Amino acid sequence: MENRVEYWVKIPIGPIHPALEEPEKFIITLDGERIVNVDVKLGYNLRGIEWIGMRRNYIQILYLAERICGICSFSHNHTYARAVEEMARIEVPERAEYIRVIVGELERIHSHLLNLGVAGHAIGYDTVLHLSWLARERIMDILEAIGGNRVNYSINTIGGVRRDIGEKHKRMILDMIKYYREEVMPKIEEIFLYDPTVEARLRDAGVIPKRIAIEYSAQGPTARGSGIRKDVRYNEQLGVYPDLGIKPITPKEFTGVIKGDVFDRMVVRVGELWQSMELIERALDQMPEGKIKAFSKDNVALVRLKKAEGEGIGRYEAPRGELVHYVMANSGSEIPERWKMREPTFPNLFAVARALVGEQLADVPVAIASIDPCLSCTDRVAVIDSKTGKKKILTEKDLLKASIEKTREINPNIKAKPEPIAGTCGGVRP
Amino acid sequence: MTPEEFLDTIMEKFPDVEGEIRENKLPHPRKRVWINVDRKEFKELMKFIKEIDPKAQFSIIIARDGEDCLEAKYHLELFYDHAPSISLIVRTKCPKDDPKLPSVTDVFPSALPYEREVQEFLGLFFERIPDSRKLFLPEDFPEGVYPLRKDKKGISSAMIKNAGHPYKMKKEG
Repeated sequence: MENRVEYWVKIPIGPIHPALEEPEKFIITLDGERIVNVDVKLGYNLRGIEWIGMRRNYIQILYLAERICGICSFSHNHTYARAVEEMARIEVPERAEYIRVIVGELERIHSHLLNLGVAGHAIGYDTVLHLSWLARERIMDILEAIGGNRVNYSINTIGGVRRDIGEKHKRMILDMIKYYREEVMPKIEEIFLYDPTVEARLRDAGVIPKRIAIEYSAQGPTARGSGIRKDVRYNEQLGVYPDLGIKPITPKEFTGVIKGDVFDRMVVRVGELWQSMELIERALDQMPEGKIKAFSKDNVALVRLKKAEGEGIGRYEAPRGELVHYVMANSGSEIPERWKMREPTFPNLFAVARALVGEQLADVPVAIASIDPCLSCTDRVAVIDSKTGKKKILTEKDLLKASIEKTREINPNIKAKPEPIAGTCGGVRP
Repeated sequence: MTPEEFLDTIMEKFPDVEGEIRENKLPHPRKRVWINVDRKEFKELMKFIKEIDPKAQFSIIIARDGEDCLEAKYHLELFYDHAPSISLIVRTKCPKDDPKLPSVTDVFPSALPYEREVQEFLGLFFERIPDSRKLFLPEDFPEGVYPLRKDKKGISSAMIKNAGHPYKMKKEG
């Protein structure tokens, strides 16, 4: 048994793959059905936003930041605006802070509904996808009514918000919350908390233990699903959130156990839907009258920012986790010296990749399990020596030789001499 | 532990570092600890931070091309079980002709993707990094070109196509 050779198979998934929503590449090394290693390669959607940001002024970056992501477009320009406000010591009117909370929580609801639908789609339960995305339309209409756009609603500006929430919007939002409480949430809870089929599929799948979540600094619902009580809105005492009674949500309050699997992450999202609706209601009640921005015009803000010195960090709990923006002033210039951001998916992706090691291939979301086998034809079989870590690519000829040896070992009487076919499917001509 | 106590603990162990606490003007003022450390002591400091809070969260590396140096800032969050957690920024730098910093992946394993990102975008290398492949840039990206550098090693104007400010863009062809 000392000289036993492990046959490890590498399966590349992505960057372009019908099962993946976005271009990213996972190279999964398998030992039988067990995952030995997951390698992540990114950059297929690299647009060089930081590089573009080196050529834009503070106000222009506000709209560039929004276009980093289509789903959390509020989060990005909110966090950027906070970083600039910290840098230039700008005070934001209180009403603006409340509007930021309301729009931010509306965005969280629509993002979580979207994610619940996608999770349903991944396990082949497409009814959930259609129903949750239908329910999501209601919130998109409200965001359109407030900001003028379904996505990229550009609510924030430096020192406040650009759009006010009037009586009409308030009525619409309260109607929507009533509709969600009575029509949508009972169905969502029925599916994600009590459905035995969903529980059987999602329980104990893709478990991220608490230790790995801390070590790889998982964020947002991924961390809270593993039992880490961490929420930037709570830790950072962000804006007016402490006045609204914010608390991190873990699955313990709903199911009583924390396992850190896919099911727990979905439970956290369901819990946050309830929490967001409560936050919006409280914010609408407590919202004071007054100004909504510190500067009447953008060029006034720009003149102030031109004189600014120092640096600022903005942090916000985006629907997927902690979002960080950093801005450093370049005194005398309207272009910042450095603008840097970090999205929550970045650490989460590596935490998930680490957590998948040792799991079964079928436990990777069904999207990855239902892989087109022709993909493995494109990559040849590689053997990695676990002691030296050296790679050796085996051609068809080597494999045939190895299989002949094996057959001889089992049955020495066989006389046949098979030859390489050298076909089109990954075959290498001898 | 309050930010003040935390800074005192650090200053006691490392008398050479410069540290200050800055506060912003949100409705609930927020304190951040900014620490400036030499690269020789940097690794020891990071180990000490991990000792103070074993659950400390590594958030981001912000690297920057200063005029004559490359600068890296590490943001960490400590004691996030309590409401105002400690937001800590550790700043260190290295000269441009010797762009090397010690890797902290053995202390904070989640630092690896950020270190790989900084290596390819700014040419600031980390000693003893376990995996030095490119993460974002394609494999055939030219060697010795670091997109976020502001000097000659950055992207030259010959490499830029169809980019720039929309109003100032030159029409090609």
